[in-house]
Amino acid sequence: MKRFQGVLFICGLLPLLVQGQARTPKAGATVDLTGYWVSVVTEDWLYRMVTPAKGDYTSVPLNPAGRKLADTWDPAKDEASGNQCKAYSAPAVMRIPGRVLIGWQDDYTLKVETDAGTQTRLFHFDASKAGAGGDWQGASVANWDVEAGARGALPGAGLRVITSHIKPGYLRKNGVPYSGNVQLTEYYDRVNETNGDSWLIVKTIVDDPTYLNTPFITSTHFKKQADSKGWNPTPCMAR
Amino acid sequence: MRMCKASFALALAVGAWGQGPGGYNPVGPGVSLQGNWGPVFHEDAHERGPGPELVNYLGLPITDGARMYGLAWDASRFTIPEHQCEVHIVSYIYRGPYNLRIWEDRDPVSQRLIAIKQYIDNYQQTRTIWMDDRPHPPDAAPHTWMGFSTGKWDGNILTVYTTHLKWGWIRRNGLRHTDQATLTEHFIRHGDHLTHVSILTDPITLTEPLIKTQDLVLRVQNGQTWLYPCEPVVEIERPRGTVPHYLPGENPFIHEFADQYHIPAEAALGGAQTAYPEYESKLKQAGTK
Amino acid sequence: MRAVAAVLALAAAPGIVLAQGNSGELVTLKVQGNVYVISGAGGNIAVQTGDQGVLVVDTGLAAMSDKVVAAIRKLSDKPIQYIINTHVHPDHTGGNVAVRKAGLTYVGANVTGNLTDAGVGAQIWAQDNVLKRMSAPTGQQAPTPFDAWPTETYLTGRKQLFFNGEPIEIVYQPAAHTDGDSLVIFRRSDVVVAGDIFVTTTYPFIDVDRGGSIQGEVDALNNIMDIAIPGLQDEGGTYIIPGHGHICDQPDLLEYRDMVTIIRDRIQAAIKKGMTLEQVKAAGLTKDYDGRYGAKTGFGTADMFVEAIYKTLTRKK
Repeated sequence: MKRFQGVLFICGLLPLLVQGQARTPKAGATVDLTGYWVSVVTEDWLYRMVTPAKGDYTSVPLNPAGRKLADTWDPAKDEASGNQCKAYSAPAVMRIPGRVLIGWQDDYTLKVETDAGTQTRLFHFDASKAGAGGDWQGASVANWDVEAGARGALPGAGLRVITSHIKPGYLRKNGVPYSGNVQLTEYYDRVNETNGDSWLIVKTIVDDPTYLNTPFITSTHFKKQADSKGWNPTPCMAR
Repeated sequence: MRMCKASFALALAVGAWGQGPGGYNPVGPGVSLQGNWGPVFHEDAHERGPGPELVNYLGLPITDGARMYGLAWDASRFTIPEHQCEVHIVSYIYRGPYNLRIWEDRDPVSQRLIAIKQYIDNYQQTRTIWMDDRPHPPDAAPHTWMGFSTGKWDGNILTVYTTHLKWGWIRRNGLRHTDQATLTEHFIRHGDHLTHVSILTDPITLTEPLIKTQDLVLRVQNGQTWLYPCEPVVEIERPRGTVPHYLPGENPFIHEFADQYHIPAEAALGGAQTAYPEYESKLKQAGTK
Repeated sequence: MRAVAAVLALAAAPGIVLAQGNSGELVTLKVQGNVYVISGAGGNIAVQTGDQGVLVVDTGLAAMSDKVVAAIRKLSDKPIQYIINTHVHPDHTGGNVAVRKAGLTYVGANVTGNLTDAGVGAQIWAQDNVLKRMSAPTGQQAPTPFDAWPTETYLTGRKQLFFNGEPIEIVYQPAAHTDGDSLVIFRRSDVVVAGDIFVTTTYPFIDVDRGGSIQGEVDALNNIMDIAIPGLQDEGGTYIIPGHGHICDQPDLLEYRDMVTIIRDRIQAAIKKGMTLEQVKAAGLTKDYDGRYGAKTGFGTADMFVEAIYKTLTRKK
């Protein structure tokens, strides 16, 4: 994994090196993702704004083992064991309605905070700093995305984040599971509209050979806010 | 110093190569979207497959007028022959099951990109996205299911602007946008994954732009599967000109969906507020699980 | 070559821009076959061209007639032989004098009347009530000049013409927008000119004072529905030129027909409940369509539409 992360790191910095400028990922950002963003829930409302019923795993490509586990969901048990944050982990937290704050922790690390569940994700452009994971947010390695065969990152090209070593949790609040074998690939893109709106588009690809038949793919959109209005950190809730 | 001079000369030569009369066509902006793409239904699978429930307007920023239109809509309208072959409008068609083929039309001499074409096999729609900076037609021109689209690249993102739409679905349970709506789309490619972002604007039926995002994956096989030889028939004998609809206040299904999912009836009626995180708190306060 | 073909295909498609000016200027679009539309001169103007000459349906506002004639001349230098008026309103007949003057009528040995005048100007055809409303009994002041009046009228049913290799039908629509409405059907080009029975800009203006009625309006819309056949994938096919607004096909008309029918049904139900006109107006029965079709001022406001429906539904027969 470390070797893989190292390759990613080199690939991530390569466009900057090719341009002959030893710029940091922060200075060489192809798109500005920083600021406050609010989720606008126009899709999957019944799976995001309310907690779906036990056994409702509509549209998640769960395999039989995954379904079996989902059918044992017991939020009281999660609460009793201090595992209320199972649905606020990296594969699911961007789907929880709320606001996110994105900013640079340093020249090589992008920080994503969520007010729902008060979670913090760190996207490391320097893979050696990604750590070992093992918690809800795992270890994330980031790079400005370069298409295969391209001459480098295009202006506006998004961010690619690969996260692994995530503590097992839920893809949805009603106990739809992912395992410790999960690998998460995310793309963060920003689009700007002529009416002044800006949108953050987060594509999430959850690959879990233990509980999924195929990768679980969603895209989640957030609207840019001018300020912190509505930012309301709340604890994780199991139901 | 000599090396610097050589570099300078090379830079000039490269510049001349790029702009000179030799016919060199510089690298165009954007990425190739060409190929066969198939949608992924890991979001809103129920709505996008079998179809939405009646009076399920959750998360949609509809106006009071749009809501009234939806509540007057009777699904029996589909039994009217003239309604039976109606095509899903471009602002909605990517929500349904379909296969998408994308290719480019280039000038045969200069190889400049004239248009990006799309074939959507659901309803057999061929769409043209003009990339040659042509203007949109005047207001008096016909409106179509796919509208008139022009595109431009913003880095690796194709942004498309569409006018001249017909009336069409916001959600195919009676909510419709008008022919004054416009659509902005972004096609974002990352490897074998394509994200389609659609942002619908219609001040008549929407209080704010409605954004949706769809996921597609690249397929190595041609995805063409469906043909659409629609032939309308009279399903129910009715007096000429009958239009099935519910009179105001008489929609019998107004509570059905909300009751089924144990959500407040007010939430099911939609509105922009139902799409924002604050509404989740409101639901919790109301005792909704 | 494919690119060239694509451009050519566009040129052949409905809606191609032939002339487009700045705001306030006319826009000419090809509809299909031999038929074009000129918009921006008041009501929409349809122009059919061919080897025999030019036929014009409606002539726009009087103030725009110089521009209208110029726009027609850009389409064809052949003689303007026929004008057909879909109804009496001045935004559709105001240019009659100027357009007629720019045209001519071919006459032969059997022509009656003053032979020196016979070939002056195009003929103007309309349903008979149009003539009645534009003219006046002898000795009284007519609301429009003599040269604007229809030269040929029909009473009921339909009038037919074969011109520029195309059968053309002029079909009476009793008591719809007015009491003198005609549809003009270009059978070979597959284009219907609807006059103000169908507009895409506002609610229908039912001119009750000039014999219009909601039931006639609904019947006329259904008549156009019967004539118009959508093309492949429920699009195109028969094109409809509305009195105002953009070129339409059957699905566009369908949305409008449904709207008019639904609002009629609502008001009919309110009348059955014993509601007064003021109560119906206050009930917001058109709220779902007001944003799209409710004119803020002038003709086609929601109040005018509701009132016209109410009055004609409660009128003693």
